[in-house]
This record gives sequence, C-alpha cells and structure tokens, in this order.
Amino acid sequence: MERDERTVVTRSRLTSALTDIHFWVPVAVLLGGLLLLRFIH
Amino acid sequence: MQSALTPETVPAVSDTTRSRKLQLLGILSGFTAGAWLGAAEAPTKLVSIGISPLVISLIMVIGVFLARWSLPALVLGTASIRADVRRAPHLLIWAVLAGCLWAVANTLTIFAIRDIGLSIAFPLWNSNSLLGIFWGFLFFNELRQAGWRRWTGVLGGALVMCFGAALLAVASSTQAAAGHSPRGVWAALGAGVLWGTMYIPYRKAYLTGMNPLSFVTFFTFGELGMMAALAVSYTGLAPLWRELQSARGVIFWLMLGGFIWVIGDVFQQYAAKYVGISRGIPLSNSNQLWGLLWGIFVFGELHGRGVSIYMQVVGGSLLMMLGVGAIAFSSATGKEQTRWKEAAQREGRRYGVAADYVEARMEGRQLAGESRPGRSAWDWLLVGGATSIFVVFATMARVPQMSFHWGPVVLLTAALLFLLLICALALLRTTRFH
Repeated sequence: MERDERTVVTRSRLTSALTDIHFWVPVAVLLGGLLLLRFIH
Repeated sequence: MQSALTPETVPAVSDTTRSRKLQLLGILSGFTAGAWLGAAEAPTKLVSIGISPLVISLIMVIGVFLARWSLPALVLGTASIRADVRRAPHLLIWAVLAGCLWAVANTLTIFAIRDIGLSIAFPLWNSNSLLGIFWGFLFFNELRQAGWRRWTGVLGGALVMCFGAALLAVASSTQAAAGHSPRGVWAALGAGVLWGTMYIPYRKAYLTGMNPLSFVTFFTFGELGMMAALAVSYTGLAPLWRELQSARGVIFWLMLGGFIWVIGDVFQQYAAKYVGISRGIPLSNSNQLWGLLWGIFVFGELHGRGVSIYMQVVGGSLLMMLGVGAIAFSSATGKEQTRWKEAAQREGRRYGVAADYVEARMEGRQLAGESRPGRSAWDWLLVGGATSIFVVFATMARVPQMSFHWGPVVLLTAALLFLLLICALALLRTTRFH
C-alpha cells in the first residue's frame, strides 16, 4: 500500500517535471548547444 | 511604559532584518565567488605543454568532481545531502541537466578562443548574465515590482560590467586572434546562452529549498558525464588515454584549478540562492577582474606592453567595479521578495514540497524540530579518498619552469583566504550553511 503511494508520488513528480517549461527550456538549449558543437567541429 | 513595538510588528521587524542579512550574505558570496573563480585560472597557467584543450577541460572536471563530493561531505555530511534529496528528488534531474549545460558551454568556449581569440570571445559569452536576468524575471519573479532604480542598478550594472569585460579582454589578449571566423562568434554566443540558461536549474533548486552543497554533488554527474562523452567522441578512447598518460606531470595543477573553481562555484550558488540569479551571476562574473590581477601581477602577462594597454586595463577594471557596485546596491526590496516567495510557493505546490520547509530554507534556516544529520565514517572516507588522489598526483607533478612573482602570490592568496574565512563564517553564523 505504502509502496503504491510512493510510486504514485514519484510518477506525479515526473509528470510535473515533464510538463514544466522550466525543464524544456534548458533541454532545448542543451540540444541546440550539442548541435552547434557538432556543426563547429 | 508601553513598548512602541506591538506583537504584530515584532516579527515584521525581525523578518526585515533577517531578509537584509541574507541579501548582504548573497552579495558577499557573489564577491567571494568572483575572487575564487578568477584564482582558478592561476594553476592552469602553469600548464604550457601541448595537451588538447578538451583533455585539459576533462582533467579539470575530474578535480571538480572530487571537490564537489568531498567539500559538501566535510561541511555538512552526506546524510544532510540525502535528507535534501528525499524532500525534493525531482531536483536531481535539474542538477544533472545544469551540469550537462556547463560542460557543453565550456567546450564551446575552447573552440571560440581558438577561432576568434579570448578578446572577442570573453565579452560574448559574458553576456550570460544578461540572459540570467531575463530568465530570473520571466520564470522566478525576480526584479518584479523592484522599481526603476533597482532595474537601472541591475541591468545598467550588468551592461557596464560587460563593457568593462570587453576592455579587459582586449587588453589581456596577448596575441592576435587566429581569424575572425563567424564560427567562433557562434561558439562564444552559444556558450553564453548555455551558461545563462544553466541558471534556471540553479534558481529552481534554491527556490524549492535545496541546499547549494547538495545541488552541486549531483550537478557534477552531468558535468563529468557530458565532458567525458565529449572528450571520447572528439578525441577517441585510445588517443584520449595516451594524452592523459602523457599529461601525468600536469594533472595535479589542472585538478587544483578545478578544486579552486569549485570553492568559487559554491559561493556562486549561495549568491544565486540569496540574491537571485539576476544579481548573483553578474557579481560572480567579476572573476575576470581577479583573473587579470593574477595574470598581470603574478605571471607578468602585460610586462613591456604600451601605455594604451594599461589604460584599457585600468578603465576596464574601474567599469567592472562600478557595475559590481551598482548591482550590490540594488538589493531586492520587500515587495520584490514577496514575489520571490510567490514563485517559491508555486514550485512547492507543483512538486509537493512542504511549504514550511520551502519557507524555512528560503530564509536560510532549518525547520523547527528538524534533526541535524551528522557526519559519518563514509564522509571522512570521501574526504580522505579525495585528498589521497590529490596527494598521489601531487607527487607526480612537475614543478613548472617559469618565473612568477611570489609577493603578489602571497598577497592575492591572503586576500582569497580572508574572503573565504569572512564569507564562510557569515554563512555559518547566519544559516549554518543551509
């Protein structure tokens, strides 16, 4: 029962992170940086 | 006689005093960060053999990794880090993400310096503080209801610092740039964008109550993982290993540079926590000034250069100090801090972090009744292990064949230690490093 609750909380935090623009802005910038690095190299 | 302070006003006065103390603490942390981040360049100047910049960066990051685990273990203990992670586990993602951003930005700077030279590249990536101000305003309510004076102080100070940085970079550039390639300009701008965006995870973590010492321990996994991946993919595993072996004599100096850098970065994190990224980042960007002091007085970098170069250095330094001063005197007002609290409450609600915990940590204190985890044998093992690795590489280190001036070394080191002592004591007394 307790484990189920913990799983739900973890999933909810993950969902919150994945729907948070604060997460996607750095991710997009990181991908852009990797692409730029590949282009430069 | 009746006291002028009613019970309602006593906590308000106490809150204001506490808030002012934390602002001063953040500003002091920003200054100290600048000094230590600038000094981190000194050991790397001792390395003059032909090692690939990527390998130099990787070795520094290994030193950084060791420091990022041993320092928090020494100051607070890993039990405290575990307790922090249990309260806000989602922040691990942001810490690793920030570490990855740092590693890619650092690698881009290497290419930028190669293509357009330090004099053009440095001011371009130093624009990260302007982006930090933008993200702070947009996402975390920084500078909201701050009034035009504070806006002018922060934004104007950051712009003046960028201009001063440009002058210093031109003056400190000892040789002409390899060629004004647009590729180098893109690399420098890219590094600025990556570093500027890296402060989103910083602020997010500190608004939700995470301790800077906990954040950096996970940040470093992203940093080392991404840096190792980049070094392997661009150099190849076997050539990388050969380069690492041939660099045995200088590994210690590079790791030492990484270690000093971490001390500066920890103070930068405290600055971001207590004065926000819009003020903390420009303050710690004063590292360029300190790096130049080491370059000129210890390594005699501008020796024999013309008067105009010295004028540029003096002018650039004065501008940077002016910018730092303007930002330092633009601390957040009560109204702006209320907006910070709103942003913190929003984060707490979104991720299910207890409101009282978020509030306590924003004020740099522990929750009432919160147990203080102590240090364990594991912590001492971490500290001992990291120290041993440094000692082993120190025994392999070659003493560099170059002249430097011992007088300024002693003076600058004394200034660093003084700032470290003052800031660490202030953090200990005011927040006990929370």
